[in-house]
Amino acid sequence: MIPLGTDLNTSHEELQQAAIDFAKDALGHDMIERDREQAFDRDDWQKCAEFGVQGMPIPQEYGGLGLGILPLIGVMEGLGYGCRDSGLLFSLNAHLWTNSIPILIYGTEEQKTRWLPPLCDGSLVGANGASEPDAGSDIFSMRTRATRRGNEYVLNGAKTFVTNAPVADLFVVYATIDPALGPMGITAFIVERDRPGLNIGKHMEKMGLRTSPMAEVVLEDCIVPIDNRLGREGRGVEIFECSMEWERGCILGSFLGVMRRQLEGCIAHARSRKQFGKAIGKFQSVANRIVDMRVRLDTSRPMVYRIGELKEQNKTAVLEASIAKLYVSEALVQSALDAVQIYGGYGYMTEQEVERDLRDAVAGTLYSGTSEIQRNIIARSLGL
Amino acid sequence: MDPIKESLRSFILAEYLLGESPANLTDQTPLRTSGILDSMATLGLVSFVEKTFGVMLDAHETGIDNFDRIEDIAALVARKKLGQ
Ligand SMILES: Cc1cc2nc3c(=O)[nH]c(=O)nc-3n(C[C@H](O)[C@H](O)[C@H](O)COP(=O)(O)OP(=O)(O)OC[C@H]3O[C@@H](n4cnc5c(N)ncnc54)[C@H](O)[C@@H]3O)c2cc1C
Repeated sequence: MIPLGTDLNTSHEELQQAAIDFAKDALGHDMIERDREQAFDRDDWQKCAEFGVQGMPIPQEYGGLGLGILPLIGVMEGLGYGCRDSGLLFSLNAHLWTNSIPILIYGTEEQKTRWLPPLCDGSLVGANGASEPDAGSDIFSMRTRATRRGNEYVLNGAKTFVTNAPVADLFVVYATIDPALGPMGITAFIVERDRPGLNIGKHMEKMGLRTSPMAEVVLEDCIVPIDNRLGREGRGVEIFECSMEWERGCILGSFLGVMRRQLEGCIAHARSRKQFGKAIGKFQSVANRIVDMRVRLDTSRPMVYRIGELKEQNKTAVLEASIAKLYVSEALVQSALDAVQIYGGYGYMTEQEVERDLRDAVAGTLYSGTSEIQRNIIARSLGL
Repeated sequence: MDPIKESLRSFILAEYLLGESPANLTDQTPLRTSGILDSMATLGLVSFVEKTFGVMLDAHETGIDNFDRIEDIAALVARKKLGQ
C-alpha cells in the first residue's frame, strides 16, 4: 500500500483505516451493472449514515459526530480509496457540502433542529439547486424568482444539473428577489420535496458518476414560508460561496483516495503483465507514467490538507480551495488516463473497471466551478 | 475629508485594488458596473459597511443605484445612521 502522508495523527489514521475497511466491505457492489443502469443505491446510503458519513461535520447536538475538517478529509480519502462507487461518494459530497453545511452555518436554531438530524441519520437525502439553463459559470445571473407575499415567498424558475434530485427529500434552492439587485438579490431557501409546485424534471444521463442521480427541478408557484428562508434576504451569494469552498476542499479528499487506488493497481499490473519477455514496468516509458501518477498524488495531498488546516483555524481558504480544486481535479483526470494506457486494451474494457474512473474523473473539472473559473479566481487574487 | 468616504476608500484600495494608484479611485468611480467589485467583493464591502458603521443594509438598499460609487454608499450610510 502507498504510505500515507504525515498530515493525519494516529487517531485520524485509525479513523481513515476504519473508513477504508468499511468501504471495501460494504460499498460498491455490482458496479459495472449499476453504472450501466445508472442505479443509485439507497441501502449503501443508509450504511454510510450508520457508519457516520452524513453526520461527520455536524455537531452531536444535531445528530452528527462533530468531526473536525482534517479527520473528515482523511475519512473522505479513505472512502475514495476503498469504495469503487464514485457516484455514491459524489452524492454524499453534494448532500454534505451544499445542503447540510449551509443549513448548519446559516440556519436558524429551528431549521437546524428540524433538518439536521434526519440529514445525518440517512432518512433524508439533500440536494442543491443553483445552476440554471442560462446561468452556469455566471451563476449569479440566475433568473429563478422569489416574490415576497406577506409571510411567504413564491418561487418560480427552473434549475438544472441538480445532483441527487431524483432521490432527494430536501433542497437548498437559490433565487433572486429582484434581478436588478444583481448578486445582492440572491437568496437561499430550504424547500421540501413534497411542497406543491416543486417538480422533478427528467433524469439527466451522464458520462460518469452514473450512480449519482441528477435531474432538473422546476419551481412553479412554489410557496415557501418565510421560516424556510436560509440566512438573510439577499445574502445567498455568501451561502453559495461557503458551500463551494467546503465542497471544493472536501470532495478532493476522495480524489486522493482514488488516485492512490489507481496507482497501486497500476503498479501491480505493471509488475505482473509481461511483454517482450519482461514485466511492462521494466519499460521506462511505462514506469515513468507510474512515477508521474505518484508525483501527482504526493503534490496533491498537501494542497488538500492545507485547506483543512486553514478551515480548522477558522481562516478563509477560498484561494487555497481554488488552487487545489484546479490542480487535483486535473491531476485525477491525467492519472485516470495514464491508468487506461498502462492497462492497454484491457484498460479500455469495462470489465477491468479502469475506464469508469476516467469517466468519473472528468466531472471534477466541471462541477463546483470549472477549471477555467478556478483560474479566474486565482488570477483575481493576483491582482490580474 | 469625509471619514465615511475615507474609510470606504482605504478598504477598497487595500482589498480589491492592490497596487493601484489611489488617485484612480474617486468618489465617482463605478465599482460594480466597472468590474472592480465582483459578487463576492460586493458582499465583502456590504459586510464591511455593516460592521464598521453599525448599520443593517436591506437587500433592496444594495442595488446599483445605492451601492456602486463611494459617494452613493457614503450617502446611504449617512441616511441609515440618521434614521437610527
Ligand atoms: C457532475 C455534475 C454535477 C453537478 N451538480 C450540480 C448541483 O448539484 N447543483 C447545481 O446547481 N449545479 C450542478 N452542476 C452544474 C455545474 O456547477 C455547472 O456545470 C458549472 O458551473 C458550469 O456551468 P455550465 O455547465 O453552464 O457551463 P458554462 O458556464 O456554459 O461554461 C462552458 C465553458 O465556458 C467556460 N467559461 C464560462 N465562463 C468563463 C469565463 N468567465 N472565463 C473562462 N471560461 C469560461 C467554462 O469553463 C466552460 O469550459 C453540476 C455539474 C456537473 C458536471
